[in-house]
Amino acid sequence: MDAQFAIAGKDFAISVADKKVTRSIVTMKHDKDKTYNLTPHTFISVAGEPGDTDNFSEYIQANIRLYSIRNSQDLTPSETANFIRGELANALRSRRPYQVNTLVTGYDKTTGKASLYWIDYLSAMAKVPYAAHGYCSYFVYSTMDREYSPDISLEKGLDIVRKCMASLKQRFLVDFSDYVIKVTDKQGIREIPMSEL
Amino acid sequence: MEFGLQLNERPMEAPREAHGHNHWNPYVDTGGTSLAIAGEDFVLVASDTRQSDGYNINTRYDSKAFELSNKTVLALSICSADGKRLYEILEQRAQLYFHKHDKPIGTEALAQLLSNTLYSRRMFPYYVFPILAGVKADGKGVAYSYDALGNMKDVTHIAYGSAAALVQPFLDSQVGFANQRNADPNRQLTRDQAMRIAIDAFTGSTERDIYTGDWLEIFVVDATGVHKEVRELKHD
Amino acid sequence: MSIMQYNGSAVVAMTGKNCVAIAADKRLGQRALTVDMGFDKVFPMTNRLYVGLAGLATDVKTLHDRFRMHVNLYKHREERTIAPKTFAHMVSHMLYERRFGPYFVEPVIAGLDDNQQPFICNMDLIGCPNFPNDFVVCGTADENLFGMCESLWEPDLGPEELFETISQALLNAVDRDAMSGWGAIVHILTPDGVITRELKGRMD
Repeated sequence: MDAQFAIAGKDFAISVADKKVTRSIVTMKHDKDKTYNLTPHTFISVAGEPGDTDNFSEYIQANIRLYSIRNSQDLTPSETANFIRGELANALRSRRPYQVNTLVTGYDKTTGKASLYWIDYLSAMAKVPYAAHGYCSYFVYSTMDREYSPDISLEKGLDIVRKCMASLKQRFLVDFSDYVIKVTDKQGIREIPMSEL
Repeated sequence: MEFGLQLNERPMEAPREAHGHNHWNPYVDTGGTSLAIAGEDFVLVASDTRQSDGYNINTRYDSKAFELSNKTVLALSICSADGKRLYEILEQRAQLYFHKHDKPIGTEALAQLLSNTLYSRRMFPYYVFPILAGVKADGKGVAYSYDALGNMKDVTHIAYGSAAALVQPFLDSQVGFANQRNADPNRQLTRDQAMRIAIDAFTGSTERDIYTGDWLEIFVVDATGVHKEVRELKHD
Repeated sequence: MSIMQYNGSAVVAMTGKNCVAIAADKRLGQRALTVDMGFDKVFPMTNRLYVGLAGLATDVKTLHDRFRMHVNLYKHREERTIAPKTFAHMVSHMLYERRFGPYFVEPVIAGLDDNQQPFICNMDLIGCPNFPNDFVVCGTADENLFGMCESLWEPDLGPEELFETISQALLNAVDRDAMSGWGAIVHILTPDGVITRELKGRMD
């Protein structure tokens, strides 16, 4: 029952992930950060089976960082997404696949463009302007379909985020109330506190 | 639920017996295809005549489109037996109407009667997807399509039966002019054009659908009555 | 619903006179939910050879990556580009390799051979190949495509006629299938080069 969605503009991308860790009917944790920074400009947000998400994300994080150290160069968002997809696809046909849905959000320093990759637990990947995973997608996609255009500003992007949160609040069974909101652009990754949204 | 899909599905399963051991199934699919094309002052109905059960052909000539009163045609796809029974009931009701009111039943009235008859068996439906085609009181051609429960809609073109998926998009294209930006939406098909489209639809379907073939019965209904024509399809 | 219908797809290829066409829809979904309206299912292997993959989207990506690797390796080893027929047999082998744990993908291959003659081929998910001389279809709209192609296709169409034929076949087929559509892409392979056109389609 995770909620995660993201929007990519021309030169920025916003990703939103809820902070709840649940098991059956119990909320185990209210303040879990489900995002992982991979490079100074690229991060992922993950949802799915709690153990798998952490284990997989940390494995990805370590390997992407190792690549940066070894080569003195960061992977671009598309390279990062393809690496993640490859690892997930290999695991899919192993004894125990990861059950992890991922959104890769990044800003490419060389081209000056932001991008967003949607990867599901079967490692189907799509480069998309906006995306969501899980039950949350049944609520936020319609809002994003209506509000999005390719040339939106960061402020408009955050406005869409507010509207998505509002529709989740009004119509979704679970009250998420608290989210991690991260933005990546020319300056790198930064978190926007809920109080400043 | 969010991770419902597993990759351990069997790629192929051997065809199962039509009748299970512990469960008797009252419904039988005897295959075959029907279509209707409504024009300005006529309507065309075409049905193939193959009747099959699984990989067996029961008969190569079993009509599933019937003339009702003098100005309608009823085409009944899927289960031949249920179709025939439904036709008999409707024919009887049409006769009763004629004797009671001293005039033949109109196409619109018959269309509603068919819907009511189907819905009267809501809990044990006839396994048929009927098409009723005729000429309305104002002389215009009309086709009504139904599901097995009696849901009804008047349409300009419709295909039902085992090759419905093959024929329906073709009719959308050639009769409905779908995806043709320069086509005149008010353009009306002539009888010859409708006839050619119906024949093309069936020769195509016969190539790919094992349940469609043998013979093609084409009915053209207009103000002068019902005109029937039989053509040969491939027998393989 | 089978794994083959999870993401939704429609791919078709047709032969013409010294030309061949391959087209696919652009939808990526999760059952009834549409996720992406720009998902490519047709990929160039050489400038005379395209492959279309219909089925589970993860395997579409995985197989595309593997095909690309093998085509590049072939080019390095043999110092020539792979012929369509050779590629088709390579694909068939790669699929049959996984006979009991298959990739859930049905490939369509379209290319021009050394004599500029059209070559088309399709396979089931375990690599049983078909080499017809008219058209091949696969995906969730396969029956609809069969009906369209069977009635629209004729032999010896030129590139522009072939484009119109394959486009009408695909658009009308996906309009009657809830799992595919949302735009389409068509590639026409001719001896002079490849013509690629994107089609606007119904977005429902």
